[in-house]
Amino acid sequence: MRYHITHRTVFTYGEQAYDNVNEVRLSPVANPHQALEFFVLKVIPATRLKRFSDLYSNPVHHFEISHPHHSLSIESQSIVSVARYIDYSALPYGCHHSYLKDLRSREECCEFLYDSRYVRRSPKIWREAVDVQDGSTDVFQTAYALMKFIYDNCAYLPGLTDASTTAADICERKQGVCQDFAHLLIVYCRSLGIPCRYVSGYIWDPGSGSNETMRGAQASHAWAEIYLPTHGWIGLDPTNNKVVNEQYVVVATGRDYDDVAPVRGTFYGGGPQRSMEVVVKVKLMDYDEE
Amino acid sequence: MIFKDYETAEFFDEMFPRSGTNAVREHYGSVRRRFTSYSEEDFQKKQSAIDRAFVEHGVTFTVYSDDQGTERIFPFDPFPRVIPSEEWTLVEQGLIQRITALNLFLHDIYHEARIVADDVIPAYFVESAAHYRPELKGLDVPGDVYVHICGSDLIRDQNGCYVVLEDNLRCPSGVSYVLENREVMKRSFPELYQEMKVRPVSHYPRLLRETLRRVAPGGASEPVCVLLTPGVYNSAYFEHTFLAREMGVEIVEGQDLIVLNGFVYMRTTKGLEKVDVIYRRIDDDFIDPTVFRDDSMLGVPGLVDACRRGNVTLANALGTGVADDKVIYAFVPEMIRYYLAQEPLLDSVTTYLAYREKDLRFILGNLPELVVKAANESGGYGMLMGPTSTKEERTIFAEKIRENPRNYIAQPVVKFSQHPTLVDGKCEGRHVDLRPFVLYGDEPKVLPGGLTRVALTQGSLVVNSSQGGGSKDTWVLRHLKEG
Repeated sequence: MRYHITHRTVFTYGEQAYDNVNEVRLSPVANPHQALEFFVLKVIPATRLKRFSDLYSNPVHHFEISHPHHSLSIESQSIVSVARYIDYSALPYGCHHSYLKDLRSREECCEFLYDSRYVRRSPKIWREAVDVQDGSTDVFQTAYALMKFIYDNCAYLPGLTDASTTAADICERKQGVCQDFAHLLIVYCRSLGIPCRYVSGYIWDPGSGSNETMRGAQASHAWAEIYLPTHGWIGLDPTNNKVVNEQYVVVATGRDYDDVAPVRGTFYGGGPQRSMEVVVKVKLMDYDEE
Repeated sequence: MIFKDYETAEFFDEMFPRSGTNAVREHYGSVRRRFTSYSEEDFQKKQSAIDRAFVEHGVTFTVYSDDQGTERIFPFDPFPRVIPSEEWTLVEQGLIQRITALNLFLHDIYHEARIVADDVIPAYFVESAAHYRPELKGLDVPGDVYVHICGSDLIRDQNGCYVVLEDNLRCPSGVSYVLENREVMKRSFPELYQEMKVRPVSHYPRLLRETLRRVAPGGASEPVCVLLTPGVYNSAYFEHTFLAREMGVEIVEGQDLIVLNGFVYMRTTKGLEKVDVIYRRIDDDFIDPTVFRDDSMLGVPGLVDACRRGNVTLANALGTGVADDKVIYAFVPEMIRYYLAQEPLLDSVTTYLAYREKDLRFILGNLPELVVKAANESGGYGMLMGPTSTKEERTIFAEKIRENPRNYIAQPVVKFSQHPTLVDGKCEGRHVDLRPFVLYGDEPKVLPGGLTRVALTQGSLVVNSSQGGGSKDTWVLRHLKEG
C-alpha cells in the first residue's frame, strides 16, 4: 500500500507572536514494515529548519521564528509505502506472561514498563486490568482483551478531553479520543507488566463502499504497541478495535503523547484570540486517477 | 533498417547503452520492435501526416530578429522519448522539493529575508538580481504560493543523472506542444502507444484551471479567471490561445482590463465583469506602467495595487523572476538545505560566479572549456559556448565579464544525453533536454511527461526553438502494480 499524506497545521494569532520556537514530529519513520519514499516540510514564515533524531529515534524538525508574525503554517507531505505484515489467521499468541519477567533489564523495553507523564499506574487501574485479564496467561490475548474492553466501554467523543488529560482521567470518565484510548491501553498493559508504548501516525480510511469506517482518519491518529519477546512490537488500536496493519503509518513512538506530540512550541505575544486549524489527508496512491 | 550504424559516441544515449549492438534499454524494447517493422515508405507517410496535422492545428512559434516570415512550425521528431516510472518518480519528487524551496525563498526575501540575515545568500546577489522587486516587500499572496506554474529545464549528464539547468519561474511556455505532440503521436502510432501504457497528459488544462481556481482571493468558489497575453506578436501567442480555449477562460490583452477602486474588471459586450485570477503571460516589467516600465502599452494601470489589496491573484505572482537569475540558481541547493533540512534530490550544474574573485580568475583562464551565460538572459541568447567559440568571441566575452562580473556565470560543458532522432529516413543521435511542468495550487503536481526538446543540428547542444531546436513527445510509463 502506498499513501500520499498531507498534514497541515495553521496557527492564527490575534496579536503578533514572536520568538516562536517549535519542535515538530511529522516525518514518518522508516521501519521494517514501512518505507518513507518522499518527505517535505514547509514552514511559513520561511525560516531555517534543523533536523535531528530524538531518544526514540524519531525524526524531529526544529525551527525558530523570532520576528513578529500573525500566523504560522506547518505543512508536511509524505509518500509512504507499507508492506502487508499482519496475518490475521496467525496472530501472535503463544507468549506466556512468565516470558515478561526478564524485560525490566532489557534496554529496548524497560522504559515502557514504568510510569510516564500521562500514564501513571494506580490500584484502581490495576484492578480493572486484572479483571479484564480474567486469568489469561497469554500476553497477546490479555492485551487484545484490554483493547476490546476499551473499545466496548469508552465513548468516542471528540472535544471533551484535551492535551492535558491523563490515563487516570480517562479511566474515570471512560470517554475521549484516540490519544486518550491509547493512554488507557498503555496504563492497563504496564499495570500487568506488559511493555507498552505510544504511537502517533495516520490511518487510511477506505471510505464509502467499504464495510469498515475508521475513526480518527481526519486527524493525526494514535494507538499503542505492546512488546512480545517472541514477536517484537505489535500495534493495537483501541479506537478502532483493530490489530494494526498496513492501513497504519507510523510517525513517531515514545512513552506517551508527551514524547511524540506532532507539533510543540512556545512563543511570546499572540494575544488571547488564537486559533489552530489542522487538516490531515491520507490518499491511497493510484496512477489511474488521471 | 533504421538503426544500422547508429552511434552513441561518448554520450549517454537514452535508448542504446552502447554502439554497434542491437541491445536497447528495457523500456525501449517495444519501440525498437515496432520501428524496425516499418518501411521507409511507412515513415514517410506518417511524417507527412504529422506535418499536415501541425499546419492544420496552427501549432507555431515566432522567431524574433528574423526578417522572413517570423511565424514557424515547431519541428517535430516522431521518435518518442520514453521514461520508465521509477526514473520519473525521482524527477517528480526532485521537482516538488525544488519548487517548495523556491516558493519559501520567494516568501522569505519579500518578507524577513532570513536566508540573507543567516548569511546563506549574500544580500547583494538578491538585491542586484534584475527581476528582484523591492516594491513588493511585505505583499502577501494567497496560500503563500508564488510560483503556480513552473517549467524547469532538465538534462541528463554522461552518467544518465538528471540535472536541473534552469527553473523558468516567470512564464514558462511549451506545454501546448506537449499536448499537441501527444495528439499527433496517438494518431500516428496507435498500436505502439496502446502497448506502452503511457501516462496521459491531456488533463493539463483541467489541472491548470483547478490550480487557478484554488488561488483565488478569499477562496471564492467560482472565481473568474482570464489569460492575459501581450498579443499576437508574442512568440508564444499560439500557446496562449490554445490554453485559454482548452481551459474555457477568456483570453485578454491589457486594454481589455481596467482597474476601478482596486478591483480588476474585464470589458465585455455585457458590461464590466470582475476578474479574480489572472494567468498572465506578460513579464513583470510590462504588467503595470504605474509601477514598472511606464512605456509599457501591454499592461494594466493599477494592477499591482489591486494585487497588493488582495483583490486579484496573479499567476505567477510578481517578483518570481529573481530566482531565474543564474547567480541565484547557484544557491538553490543551499535553499533546499536551509528551508527543508534536506539534501537536493536533483543535481544542479556546477556554477562559477564571476563576481567572486577566485571564480573570475578560473573563468577567464578556462574560457574554451566553459559555457558562459549572462545571469538574466534566457532562450539561448547572451551566452558563449567555450569549445565552439572563436578566439575573437572569447576576447569580447572576457571584456564583458570583466566589465560586469555580477551579470555572468560559467558552467562546465555538460555532455548531455542524446536520443535516436529521425534524420532522412535513418536514426541518428541528437542531444535532448526535458522541460516538465509543475502546477502548484494547494499542493504541487507534476504533469507526467513534458517537452523533450531536441537539437536537430548534429553535435549541437542548443535545443531552444529560437535556435533551431525541435521537439519530441515524452512518454512516461505507468507504474506497474505488484501482484
